[in-house]
Amino acid sequence: MAALALHTGEQALPTHARSPLRELSVSVDPEAAATAGFARGDEDALEQSYRLWGSLVHTIALRSVGNEADAADITQAVFVSAWRGRGGFDPERGALPAWLISITRRRIADHWEERSRHLRRVEAVAAQSPDEPVHAPVDGIIDRVLLADELERLGEPQRRIMELAFFQDLTHTQIASLLDLPLGTVKSHVRRSLDRLRTRLEVDRVAS
Amino acid sequence: MSHPDEADLALIALGEPASAADAAHLAACSRCRSRVDQLGAVVSTARTITDEDRPVAPPAAVWEGIVAEAGLTGAQASVTSLDQRRRRRGPVLGWLVAAAAVGVLAGATLTTVVGGTGGTGGSDDAQLLATAPLEPVAESAYQGTAAVEQRGAESVLRVSVPDLPAVEDGYYEVWMATPDASTMVAIGTLNPGEEAVLTLPAGMDTAAFPLVDVSVEHFDGDAGHSAVSVVRGLLPA
Repeated sequence: MAALALHTGEQALPTHARSPLRELSVSVDPEAAATAGFARGDEDALEQSYRLWGSLVHTIALRSVGNEADAADITQAVFVSAWRGRGGFDPERGALPAWLISITRRRIADHWEERSRHLRRVEAVAAQSPDEPVHAPVDGIIDRVLLADELERLGEPQRRIMELAFFQDLTHTQIASLLDLPLGTVKSHVRRSLDRLRTRLEVDRVAS
Repeated sequence: MSHPDEADLALIALGEPASAADAAHLAACSRCRSRVDQLGAVVSTARTITDEDRPVAPPAAVWEGIVAEAGLTGAQASVTSLDQRRRRRGPVLGWLVAAAAVGVLAGATLTTVVGGTGGTGGSDDAQLLATAPLEPVAESAYQGTAAVEQRGAESVLRVSVPDLPAVEDGYYEVWMATPDASTMVAIGTLNPGEEAVLTLPAGMDTAAFPLVDVSVEHFDGDAGHSAVSVVRGLLPA
């Protein structure tokens, strides 16, 4: 028996259970439930939000600051300040992950600012301030991490189809024959998945 | 003017050649052009994704830190607090509660299954310890049932997910996991169209791994979970 750590703990949890066959039991969308509970100050919703979006926040931080200790600190700070400041979160105005990402963005900026202050103190010369070019790359990182995260949330065969289309540059005809799926199925998966990725990018990418 | 099929626009955004009719339409229709541009922007961003952009779960200490710093009541800041808390209070997640709500139905089905196969798989001295409905994960449309039985000194996990299709170059693996899926134990394989009757490792504390998960695995030599699950369910404590 081997205990295997799943590298994306919460990612494999159901996120969009909307199969038409299962209307009876899918009335609760975990993302909506977490969002509503968070706004109400329900502690379980904080835990659920962390499970749904902890990896997203952590990965953005990790990619931006480049070291695990600081990324862990930023992740913790994001959820703590989101929780403490939940009075300022209005579910009517935006999704919870979008709000978490905007806080992540600020925390990353704080991190660089603090570091450059430290460097200035140490070097006593503020010749090059290392925090200048940070904001643009963070946007790129957020977009890529958001899409990678949403790709992992696509069910199968959608995820495999999209990965083949994106990363192997296969045409839908090639994908259909490789996966032994009808052409029409592949086409409609491509359309819906691409649309879902676009929505995710638009909804959660908050301009700074 | 009739616009091209949305799916064709998506394929064009992915870089597939447009048919002559679609190309002519796009040249004339700014609405469809902007749709292709919109989707094309997603495609170009997606194509810059590297392995490092893939989600990485934060270390366990982060949640402990949040619990401590946010001063959550009813949560102890220790590594195991999350699991203990869940076990004591039952599932906290909406989808798990929803799953429990349909558990009655699925449970009834399960009894039939167990009873029906009693002559072959189930022995008379098998004692049913816990059952759980298995709910679809992500956009999977499948559902099934899981049951833990005591058979003499052995614990057995029975898993049935009707209608599972065959996996191209792969198979289904059954896992038992901690409630947050942070630690998973591979239990065995599930073949489409069959009920899996899997002997649990002796000495395994099933209460610590109440989450039953069925994943799609490929013959790739990677013993870890593929992170692609089709169904999941939580066994009651």
